[in-house]
Amino acid sequence: MARIDFPEEVKLLIAHLKRLPGVGPKSAERIAVWLIARDGGFSDDLAKAIMLSGEVIKDCRICGFFESSVIGCELCADLQRDTTMICVVEQPTDVLPLERTGAFKGSYHCLGGRIAPLDDIAPEDLRIDSLVSRIAGGCVSEVILGVGSDVEGEATANYLAELLATGFPDLTVTRLAQGLPAGGGLDNADELTLYRALDGRRRL
Amino acid sequence: MLHRLRLRNFRCFEALDCPLQGEVTLFAGNNAHGKTTILESICMLLRLQSPRAGTLSEVVRLGEDGFVIEGDFSGRQLMFSLSGQRRQMKVDGDISKNRASYLAETGLVVWMGNDDLALVRGGGDVRRRYMDFAASQIYPGYRNALRAYNRALRARNFLFKRDNRPRWEQIAAYTKLLVKHGTVIAEARADLIAALCPSASHAQSGISGRDESLGLNYLRSGGEDLATAYEQNADQDSRRRQTHIGPHRDDLILEIKGLAAGQFASEGQQRTIALALKLAQAEVLREAKGADPVLLIDDIFGELDQARRNALLTYLPKSSQKLITTTHLDWADDAFLTASQRYLVDGSGVC
Ligand SMILES: [Zn+2]
Repeated sequence: MARIDFPEEVKLLIAHLKRLPGVGPKSAERIAVWLIARDGGFSDDLAKAIMLSGEVIKDCRICGFFESSVIGCELCADLQRDTTMICVVEQPTDVLPLERTGAFKGSYHCLGGRIAPLDDIAPEDLRIDSLVSRIAGGCVSEVILGVGSDVEGEATANYLAELLATGFPDLTVTRLAQGLPAGGGLDNADELTLYRALDGRRRL
Repeated sequence: MLHRLRLRNFRCFEALDCPLQGEVTLFAGNNAHGKTTILESICMLLRLQSPRAGTLSEVVRLGEDGFVIEGDFSGRQLMFSLSGQRRQMKVDGDISKNRASYLAETGLVVWMGNDDLALVRGGGDVRRRYMDFAASQIYPGYRNALRAYNRALRARNFLFKRDNRPRWEQIAAYTKLLVKHGTVIAEARADLIAALCPSASHAQSGISGRDESLGLNYLRSGGEDLATAYEQNADQDSRRRQTHIGPHRDDLILEIKGLAAGQFASEGQQRTIALALKLAQAEVLREAKGADPVLLIDDIFGELDQARRNALLTYLPKSSQKLITTTHLDWADDAFLTASQRYLVDGSGVC
């Protein structure tokens, strides 16, 4: 007697779901079964939303934030922003909590990660060249390093601080004040903590 | 003081409920029957680390998914559990945000074991563990500095190994972190050793019954100025493809009457030194934190000669709770036995 398992199609769905961040084998099965049981076009809507965001959303070539092929990069398009200040963060999602504080009116630069040799991420894998060209080509007076406060974040901040100090002696380079959650990225920090971190940033 | 210990799926114990009372509790039983496991679970409940297991999953009972340790410690209900990959700490039913906030509510621990002789005879890693275990209980931030240092060290060494031509800009980013965290570690250790020295020497003379001065010195592999030391050793690091100075290579130098204890002390003296180091740790913890550490004493009484045993018994701090494992009780006199709570451990429970 053959051992009965999920049909092939469902197994494939589970295999894809398992690759999502934070989804383990058990949750993947639960989500798959839930999706199959849904009618009324939910799965169609979900598939369309995934496809559409994949087609429309790219990384902005200038700042690394989300760029939509419909409206462009909202950050770069915003002429009210103070372009003499750039806050450097790891991920586009780190911009949102900083924006919510309302304390920062400058522009952003999303590196796309942090330097982490043990995870095989080198400086070349990050948007460092485009950061350098932005500074070289413009009127930037201050760069705020808003990368995380864990070991890799600190190492990335050290690396950038040295690189910028060598390349741009007149540039002010600051670091968000301590008080960000140890070991966590920016998206774990609450608004008040971030506000204080911005306000108390220190010169490197 | 720990008044009650409860275990679920912890090593050999499916379930254990063990009320504790009085200054001394004795756990007697044959080897491999779980005596040490009981002390280990208490160490993990109070310090979140095991003196013998490398990973948390090692202590999970075979075939189970996690463990639970609970204790009634000085009026607080403590809980430490692992379920799958998820560990959780609770104080009085409230989930602790992180390890540091939990540890701030728990107690101090000194572990005394039969393998403490390695403190004198073994390599520097044994003595660094000794310093780290004590320093993490005294200095806030020490544990985090140590974790960050070790992670930065791994990355720096990896960079040396990965590239034939070193990427110095990246290496420098990690060197700065080694300086930052390494300085915290080295200063705390130096402070700790200075505090330990008089107590250890006093205990050494007391237990040996002779005037044996015990010297403790913290040897910094890179000297006082870590930033300069890493810079001066950069070429050598690059050739050897690893970081060969810093707190991970520092040592605690033990001398008896001015001579290196590892080479020149007799075995008896070495056993005494190991005891003295642990007794000094208990005293320094009490002085620094104003609380009595719990003494977890694993199977050492059977190994000592009678003179040292008696000296140790009189030397153990009266105010500290002492949990003692032993294979036999021949060494204990009637007065000691009457004053102690006794359990027999048989591999699945206690009675
Ligand atoms: Zn942009």
